[in-house]
Amino acid sequence: MKHRKNTYRTLLLSLFIGVNVLILFGIGQLFSYLNTGADRSSILHVTSPDAKVYLPKVIWENTNNPGRPIEKQSLASIQSDYLKAWYVKNIAYKNNDLYGIDDHYTQHARKNIVNHISDQKEKNISIEATTLNHNLSLDFYSLDGQLAVLTDKNSRQYQRLFKQDSLLLETEVVSSYKVVLLLEDGFWKIRHIVKQSNEPLVETTKPTPFSSVKNGQVFFENRPFQIKGINYYPQATPWDMFGKDFNTSIIAKDFDIIKKVHLNTIRIFVGYADFGKAEVIPEKLNKLEQILNLARVKDLKVIVTLFDFYGNYDVLDWTLTHRHAEQLVSRFKNHKAVLAWDIKNEPDLDFKTRNKTNVLAWLKEMATQIKTYDPNHLVTIGWSNTQVAHLLQENVDIVSFHYYEEISRFEKKYADLQSKTSKPLVLQEFGLSSNKGLWSPFGPSEKTQAEYYTTFKEMLDQQNVHYLPWTLYDFTQIPTSVVGKLPWRKHKQKHFGFIDENGNPKKAFQFFEE
Amino acid sequence: MTTSQSVFEAGEHITLAFELSTPTTVSLVCHSAYGTTIVTPNYDLADALFTLPENTSTKKGILDFKLISKGTSLYNGSINIIANTKNKTSLESYIGPPSISAGTHDYTMLVVVPTDSYDNPIANNTPVSIKHQFLDDQKEASIKTNDLMAWKTIHSDKKSGRILVSSTVNAVSSKEFAVEVFPSQPTNFTIDYHRKHTYADGNQITTFTTSVIKDTYGNTISDGTLVDFTIKNQNNSLLKTQGMSINGVATAFMLHPDHEEIWNVSAHINGMATSNTITINYKAVTEKLPVHFSNANRRISIGPLQSFMEQLIPDGAIVKLTITKNEQILETKLKTTANGMVSFDLEKGFYPPGTYSFIIEALGLTSIHSNIKL
Repeated sequence: MKHRKNTYRTLLLSLFIGVNVLILFGIGQLFSYLNTGADRSSILHVTSPDAKVYLPKVIWENTNNPGRPIEKQSLASIQSDYLKAWYVKNIAYKNNDLYGIDDHYTQHARKNIVNHISDQKEKNISIEATTLNHNLSLDFYSLDGQLAVLTDKNSRQYQRLFKQDSLLLETEVVSSYKVVLLLEDGFWKIRHIVKQSNEPLVETTKPTPFSSVKNGQVFFENRPFQIKGINYYPQATPWDMFGKDFNTSIIAKDFDIIKKVHLNTIRIFVGYADFGKAEVIPEKLNKLEQILNLARVKDLKVIVTLFDFYGNYDVLDWTLTHRHAEQLVSRFKNHKAVLAWDIKNEPDLDFKTRNKTNVLAWLKEMATQIKTYDPNHLVTIGWSNTQVAHLLQENVDIVSFHYYEEISRFEKKYADLQSKTSKPLVLQEFGLSSNKGLWSPFGPSEKTQAEYYTTFKEMLDQQNVHYLPWTLYDFTQIPTSVVGKLPWRKHKQKHFGFIDENGNPKKAFQFFEE
Repeated sequence: MTTSQSVFEAGEHITLAFELSTPTTVSLVCHSAYGTTIVTPNYDLADALFTLPENTSTKKGILDFKLISKGTSLYNGSINIIANTKNKTSLESYIGPPSISAGTHDYTMLVVVPTDSYDNPIANNTPVSIKHQFLDDQKEASIKTNDLMAWKTIHSDKKSGRILVSSTVNAVSSKEFAVEVFPSQPTNFTIDYHRKHTYADGNQITTFTTSVIKDTYGNTISDGTLVDFTIKNQNNSLLKTQGMSINGVATAFMLHPDHEEIWNVSAHINGMATSNTITINYKAVTEKLPVHFSNANRRISIGPLQSFMEQLIPDGAIVKLTITKNEQILETKLKTTANGMVSFDLEKGFYPPGTYSFIIEALGLTSIHSNIKL
């Protein structure tokens, strides 16, 4: 009896405590809910950092205007708000949603966008678009600094029109506009935008490039150039060439090895994120310059593969990648060690996940961009196989492809590709991993690797193929981002080299020696 | 393309017709300033007729179009849509800055953005008449639109006042705008003072006034202009007071000194204008400082203190007692008068029996009492 009384007592007590805990928790939750929401200071628009989301090339051609001289800061805020107006409009027409439009279009101008969106919704249309450049001049800036009139001349715009989610048209439009902007609530908002007729483009005289292609032949400084190269990473820092362990003396020694076996070209990789995305890190550029200078001293040409580990391709991300390319290639446009800019390594591997149209459109525009900022060097794309390598051949100077398939089928595939294009073909990557061991008991041995190269060499010499095998060194560490986490994959990637982990030439090294 | 017209007016019913050599499904992609539209046709025999939707046909500007079929473009072209001229124009005007200063160097700017009934900026070179009125003067000017708008600067006159501005386009008038013309910078001025009597009674107030302060062009300066008055006394100490101008005159006040004094007073408007310096003398109210010791010298009574007509001095006059012993100051006591009297009590606990000296100061007078035994 007493036992049961105690049980009841305990139960009642714990119930009482439990209920209290629940009530307190409830009040606490309610209180914290009521305290959530936007920070009041956000009303003032003072705290938002200027996020870099949309960076088409902007050139101010003229800011002299009859109203009043403009200060640098006002011009910068007009530019920034004008670009954001394009950005929010692009997003609005992509998603058929008005998010952000209020901040960049005045009440009257907004109506036009609302009408467009309701029309699009009705017809089930969506548009992915980005402007690529804006050539601005300031026609008028009012005395009180509240009104500005701009001309945006020959602005290129890339558009992709979808109807019921299927692509209807991919197009590029060049348009000119007159724009009236008003300063309202701290934003320069578009009040009027009127499309004008374009001005005829002025043809600029083309400079004579260092590297060029004539009749299917690669020329460097007007001399025929046969690429005999190698893909290169320093042994200790594969896929991290520009990191904290960057060491020019190691690279110089490696260049000596490469030069000694009569190779004339290396291929290196520049990571998009590693180099700072849209705002390229000067320190990284300096490291790249040191490598290029070294190559020049050792008389090696360099194929620089850009956009390594980039995988977005989204139309609204384009302008950021354009700024990345601009800063990189314009810096080295006069550098005589550069042979070619390889836009991206194996972009066809992204066809499935990132949509083929997206990837191809991005590559095509990027080729144009690179040529604008550096007309002196060749442009190519490092396709992963021969089947896709003919794509975009009109937009590149040399057609690069990789070959890791059966050696016996190479001649046929090479001939197939040759029939599809008249541009020079570069076998930009090939090789065999001598990964026989724990993870691959029946894998190729060093001897098999050597035989592979001997066979390949015969074919290459016969056809006079430009080639760069993968790769100089065996590696001890492979970053997960390269081939994933699986140990047998990493293991395979470690043994593609001509020189083993201890720095001794493998059997395949004789490939270079004749 | 079978439509030959290439210039349309906004709001017009715009239909573009194309003759198709082979019957095929086509659509028209139109690029206008605000966006891109896709239009589907009505077929009329071999012709495809595209009627532009209102969001496109009512907007001024070049309209680029592409006739497309299965993702490829068959025909490119463009038409020009001009602002509507039939319906009523509307006006948006902006003026700024809203206040300027008198003189002929400062100006404000009127910007007029006339639009048609579809909110398109109207054609270039449309005349805009701008009128402005100032005092007895009324002017009219005609300017022409360019870069989607028209603008004019309006300069201030030598006089202050209010400019009223309005504009008219195609017989449609804007509302009235007002621009305030404030007087320009003040020029140097003179000051004067008024007081009830010349005595330093520490009670009455001396009033300082400026002359009517004018700007370079003879306009009375704006109300509320701050004028600082600086007073230098005989000790070279500075006293300050200030006043705001009303109708060009600033007034400031200062309590009379409580002892004989000479003040040198000047005024200035910070960084812009100064006045002359005036000198004011204050006479002592009395020569007498009666002191009375009682209660075995432990109570010191001062007074009755009398003013210039032998009236009791107003309450609140300061009396200072300094107590010294062996030429060392022990304490300084301050008290204010009530009914002309002040008394100090020296407690035994603080001042043990001995010989003390007392200095009593009031109304600029001093009375010394040495070797008083407590």
